[in-house]
Amino acid sequence: GLVQSCGHIIPESPVLTLGSSFTALCILNESCLDFGNIYANQIIWKIKNRVVPKEQYREINRTVSSVTFNDTSSLANPLTCNILADGQIEQNIYGITVTVGLPPEKPKNLSCIVRQVSKLAYPMTCTWNPGKPTFLDTHFRLKYRWPQENFPDCIPKDVNNSCMITDVQFFVNLEVWVEAENALGKAESDPLVLDPIEIVKPLSPHNLSVNSEILPTVLKLSWENRISAAVMKLKFNIRYRIMGDTNWMQVPPEDTASPRTSFSVQGLRPYTEYVFSIRCMKEDGVGYWSDWSEEKTGVTTED
Amino acid sequence: LGAGQSIQKTYDLTRYLEHQLRTLAGTYLNYLGPPFNEPDFNPPRLARAERVPSATVDLDLWRGLTDNARLAANYRAYSRLLCYLRALEGPAGTAELRHRLGHFCSSLQGLVLSIAGVMSSLGYPLPVGGPSAPPGTPVPSNDFLKKMEDFWLLKELQTWLWRSAKDFNRLKKKVPPAVVTLRLEARGF
Repeated sequence: GLVQSCGHIIPESPVLTLGSSFTALCILNESCLDFGNIYANQIIWKIKNRVVPKEQYREINRTVSSVTFNDTSSLANPLTCNILADGQIEQNIYGITVTVGLPPEKPKNLSCIVRQVSKLAYPMTCTWNPGKPTFLDTHFRLKYRWPQENFPDCIPKDVNNSCMITDVQFFVNLEVWVEAENALGKAESDPLVLDPIEIVKPLSPHNLSVNSEILPTVLKLSWENRISAAVMKLKFNIRYRIMGDTNWMQVPPEDTASPRTSFSVQGLRPYTEYVFSIRCMKEDGVGYWSDWSEEKTGVTTED
Repeated sequence: LGAGQSIQKTYDLTRYLEHQLRTLAGTYLNYLGPPFNEPDFNPPRLARAERVPSATVDLDLWRGLTDNARLAANYRAYSRLLCYLRALEGPAGTAELRHRLGHFCSSLQGLVLSIAGVMSSLGYPLPVGGPSAPPGTPVPSNDFLKKMEDFWLLKELQTWLWRSAKDFNRLKKKVPPAVVTLRLEARGF
């Protein structure tokens, strides 16, 4: 071009591991040597306009000077190669940007949960510990597969420690793992082998209704389950308290440990208003409890 | 997975597929429209529909098969049914129907893998050759025949799933969870 540069630095734009040593070379163009009466021993290295101590320089030959940093933590940008032309005017020959960081650590504590969001929708969210900051652009991918079938990677959005897979299949073991990659390396978490049906957090039962019965100490609860029995059979927890009281009582879990859509709570006080709430989970206890349902009240009849 | 656990999962998956297909078939037949979505529509089986693995079998014959032969028949049938089903995925109606078809196909793929898992846990060889794609018979000559084929595909699939659930339920009882898999015995341990 019009203005021909008199040299360049290699490596061009390095990515370096924090704490490692680093050497750069400034190579002068032969053409400039004759014209500008300049030599490698006149080179001055600078980081961010601060002169690098001469002890770190080495004249490789007439056209090449090197500079070495024992610990890249001391580096700053830009790293420039300059020359004292005719002994007076300092001219910049070339400059580079150095990126310093760390390779990704092995992602740890991978865990997943399938949160039911509607009758037919069961997205699975996996979370993990991404490890120490790397100070570099680091990409995470959640990878998952069956023995003979790879699924498209799940790419986290705006975070580096979780990803949601919108469509999982039940009753087939899935191998899940996390891959982290940046310019300095790649790391993979330990794989997790799971059947999504075993990590479901179902939606809580809804349309809870409370009706009094003939006996003044009994109230009958009815509700709708929002997960199909073909997907999983459910067990329940039912809790209740007297209106205005803060202490919850709970129906013995063994009494509600099987699929149902109603239950008669006994042993209540006559002519008293009670608040009820219910939650559910997979009958065999594998997975997560749903949230508690909306609360509903009912009043026992007079004695 | 041990054989017992593998069979239990395959049984659960088959029941789950039956459940999914019940609602999915209804939605798809509504998409096909009359007469296909009418409850009493019971057409004769056309020669073309022979390509779809027929679920109609002689029950005594079927029961008389060895576990290996029955599993292999299931494996081959679902591998082929999956190919046909994937052909439905493309053009099918609304995005929601396509999504549900896609999810169902994935589940069915899972069933093929699960059956393969059961067979290997019991020491049985997998049927040779992948699922034979539908032989290159020409696309049905008109829309009605194409819909008829889709109708038969869903009908046969429902019957296959209904019978497979029974197969795996019976097999489940033969191989209780705790037993050491046959493969170990086969190696003289």
